[in-house]
Amino acid sequence: MTNEVSAAYPEARVTPDNAPMLKRWREAGELVLQHCEGCGKAVFYPRPVCPHCWSDRLVWRPASGKGTVVSFSVIHRGLPAPFDAEAPIGLAEIALEEGISMIARVLVADGEELESGAGVALVGKADAARFPLPTFRIAR
Amino acid sequence: MSQSPSTSRAPARPVSDRAVSDRAVSDRIGIIGYGSSAYEKSPSRSEAGYMAEAARAALASAGLERSAVDGISVSSTTLPPDNAVTLAETFGLSVSWASIGNAGGAGAVVNVFDAVHAIEAGRASHVLCLAGAAQDGAFFRGRIGRFNGSIGDYLAPHGFGGMNGLFGIIQRKHMQTYGTKREQLGRIAVDQRANARRNEAALLRKEMTLEDYLTAPLIADPIRLFDCVMPCSGAEAILVGPLEEAPSGKAVAVRAAAERHNHPLGEVSPLRGGWEVFRDDLYETAGFGPGDLDFVQAYDDYPIMVAIQLEDLGFCAKGEIGPFLAERRMTFDGDLPLNTGGGQLSCGQTGGGGGMIGLTEAVRQLRGEGGARQVAGARRGLVSGYGMVAYGHGLSASAMILERAQ
Ligand SMILES: [Zn+2]
Repeated sequence: MTNEVSAAYPEARVTPDNAPMLKRWREAGELVLQHCEGCGKAVFYPRPVCPHCWSDRLVWRPASGKGTVVSFSVIHRGLPAPFDAEAPIGLAEIALEEGISMIARVLVADGEELESGAGVALVGKADAARFPLPTFRIAR
Repeated sequence: MSQSPSTSRAPARPVSDRAVSDRAVSDRIGIIGYGSSAYEKSPSRSEAGYMAEAARAALASAGLERSAVDGISVSSTTLPPDNAVTLAETFGLSVSWASIGNAGGAGAVVNVFDAVHAIEAGRASHVLCLAGAAQDGAFFRGRIGRFNGSIGDYLAPHGFGGMNGLFGIIQRKHMQTYGTKREQLGRIAVDQRANARRNEAALLRKEMTLEDYLTAPLIADPIRLFDCVMPCSGAEAILVGPLEEAPSGKAVAVRAAAERHNHPLGEVSPLRGGWEVFRDDLYETAGFGPGDLDFVQAYDDYPIMVAIQLEDLGFCAKGEIGPFLAERRMTFDGDLPLNTGGGQLSCGQTGGGGGMIGLTEAVRQLRGEGGARQVAGARRGLVSGYGMVAYGHGLSASAMILERAQ
């Protein structure tokens, strides 16, 4: 990641379902996840109803922001601007410590390689504001 | 076909495990016409223009006039805000039944199944099923980030690389979980290309070797260029109606069909899909199984998804597709003829038409009209669909078993 962002990244639409997650990421660089008070399960992506039990009692809780790469792709071609200038882009299925998976970008520094089984963590507050969604790096 | 003898009030299996195909397949209503438009890398006309060309061919192959059509369905991801009703107006058709699919590449199979049911229910007598797009690569890339809500909100902001990145994740997972090799998956793309070389309508007809496949430009590692379809323009059409109206020897019966959406639950990059849920019912309803089929037309957005479909549809056990592919030839004259016209991988992907190209090719084969790529003695075939990619994978799976009607 050496290029400064020129064109804007596409952004998620802010909705009542996802606003707390987007705000917490932007302001603090932290990941919050919906948890269902009906069945106790964590939920991602954000939604108005628990897909496991249909409860609407979903509350936001901080997540550790740590996980493990389950599988990944490294994208070299076919990226729209501004991502094309940042290729290759690491995209991974990440098993979060909270017991659910998400797909997210993983920044790979020079000399690093993305591997399944690798530990990943959020990029940290300083970098968070640059990215529209919770973004990870390889844990050191 | 076996009748369900159950008279008890409790279903033999949980309702959620029952497939649509248990209920009804018609001996009277089936596929009586088919047609394909020309395919083009860049659109020379509108979506409806391609559909009109395919529709004319479908009616001609049935020996019917357009006045016979009183039902219309369409599977297209680019047609909205237009729909089946506005398409009927464009075509000057007054219809008693109109339907637009929402299952992406699984939608065309579903639409044809629905059309059989609609006619059986007296809602229409002849249904024209259409699918296609007017697009090129740039158009496709411009809208892929808005394909649906979860892609737009939770994948596009990451620079997810279109569908290539998502299927790169799935393919790598299959490779690391089951030991599947690119050399094995490549057999799908290479043999389909050999089929396309006998299909003058295919856009990609240059000879492809396994070495070409393995060393193609890297797109979304482990996905390379020849794992990807080329978005293009064109359309396909199927005419559903009374089998007895088809020209002699040209009627194609629907022996079984099924759809399944959002299976498995709660996995973002699954190595299986809805086919595994309805597979047994599908073959039971048809009265024959995978070993009795003369060809397979599987949804080939990527070879890895063809591989997963073949596993889920019972051609081999889960995870054993690699060795299975290595032992077979998928050319039209091989021991497992697959996507005998070249499939989307060699013909190009016409949006929702990608879900119908397997149907039209299957009908072409069963009518004995496959020309230089005719599967000898083709009597029975399977068509499967896959689509509506959302957060990580395609949500929709479908399949249909067709047989030359006697
Ligand atoms: Zn719940």
